[in-house]
Amino acid sequence: MKTKMDKLYQEKHELWLHITYASFAIEDEAIKSRLYEFSLIAFRHMKWLGSEVLEDGGNFNYDRSMQLIKHDTSFEIIHELEEKILHIQANYKDNILAQRIKTDDIYLLEYLRQVMASEFNNQTITAFNMKREWMDKKLAQDQIDALTLFLLEESYKEYELILVYNYMQARTENALHFNVFQDLIDESHFHLKSFGNMMAKLGILVLPRELHEMTYIVKDFQRFIVDGIAEEEAAKIMCKELSDAIKDEELSKFFDFINYQESYHIELMKKLLK
Amino acid sequence: MFEDVKMPEGMSPEVLEHLMYPKNYGKLETPNGVGVALDEKTKEYVIFYIILDESIIKDVKFATNGCQDTVVIGSMFTDMIMNNDLEYANGAIQKMNDKLGNTSAQQQVCADIVFSAFTASLQNYKNIQNGLDEELHLFKMKESCEVVGEENENKNG
Repeated sequence: MKTKMDKLYQEKHELWLHITYASFAIEDEAIKSRLYEFSLIAFRHMKWLGSEVLEDGGNFNYDRSMQLIKHDTSFEIIHELEEKILHIQANYKDNILAQRIKTDDIYLLEYLRQVMASEFNNQTITAFNMKREWMDKKLAQDQIDALTLFLLEESYKEYELILVYNYMQARTENALHFNVFQDLIDESHFHLKSFGNMMAKLGILVLPRELHEMTYIVKDFQRFIVDGIAEEEAAKIMCKELSDAIKDEELSKFFDFINYQESYHIELMKKLLK
Repeated sequence: MFEDVKMPEGMSPEVLEHLMYPKNYGKLETPNGVGVALDEKTKEYVIFYIILDESIIKDVKFATNGCQDTVVIGSMFTDMIMNNDLEYANGAIQKMNDKLGNTSAQQQVCADIVFSAFTASLQNYKNIQNGLDEELHLFKMKESCEVVGEENENKNG
């Protein structure tokens, strides 16, 4: 049986994803960028609500019951977002945190109304068209397939890492660990954003699958980090393979850049073992 | 009976659909069988939830932290066995295993972990029927995805 706070946490988790994926789906760079800023604010709301749940002696989980509707226009996406934001308002408590969150939400609603005031902003959405074409570049089918697999796999992994480290960060009292978790979360936000925008360009934008508690409730921390380092190594190999397979200089350079970032994640994770 | 059994070969539209929108993914609120198959080396797991009515699989869901092959096979397999009986499910495992003989060793390991989780959920169902207080049944995998991957690398290298 879910408590009111559990329900609020789940709705905030879903709202964070709705804002994030709206940002990925909309092509207009200004709107995309602004929405992404709001999505990071929503993630902080989620983090603060999680801390509140723990302080009250409760627990939170990452259950979800949402779908990403394949809208055809920017305004359809924005209308849906408005509805989600309005829906969650009644569930906030009456305290300082809730007041802060509500004023953020109200400003986001205002921004969405400003966007919809101009019909010029109502653009066609191609993020769900399944065309799997990389803009004006002519990639061979096997390269498109490799890119598709990589983006689907890694977008899930980045989402998983964000939530797993968030779960651990909320429970640690070790300042070093807290900082490392924050760095890793920030890095994964950037990777998820990069991969999400690429999925949208390919027309295959989709939510990462839901996390089961066996994934984020960690019983053996040391082992988890050692395994995590091995996983980062595997991600590096995947990145390198993809970089080699994609015969496009711009994309190859991007995957090399991601590859070097994974290398530093390993160094960050080693700090957690000290 | 199993003419329609399909395997994840390449990036067909069907495989892409299972990958992007896995069927029967998640948890069941009131299962009467829960099974987990765990690869201890990689910590990859598959968890199966079933609602069994006599021998009919009335509902089934699965979840995993595993790779895309695991997701696609789990999605296809649960889709096949939903609302079918256990005989059909066992036949489907056999048929899928036969077909997997033609695919990569890694895909076979992914299929094994899916089928083992399903078998563990049946064992949990039986154990509960026999009066055992068991939250879930756990199978530890003998073959690891990691080992198979390394073997493949060595062969290719």
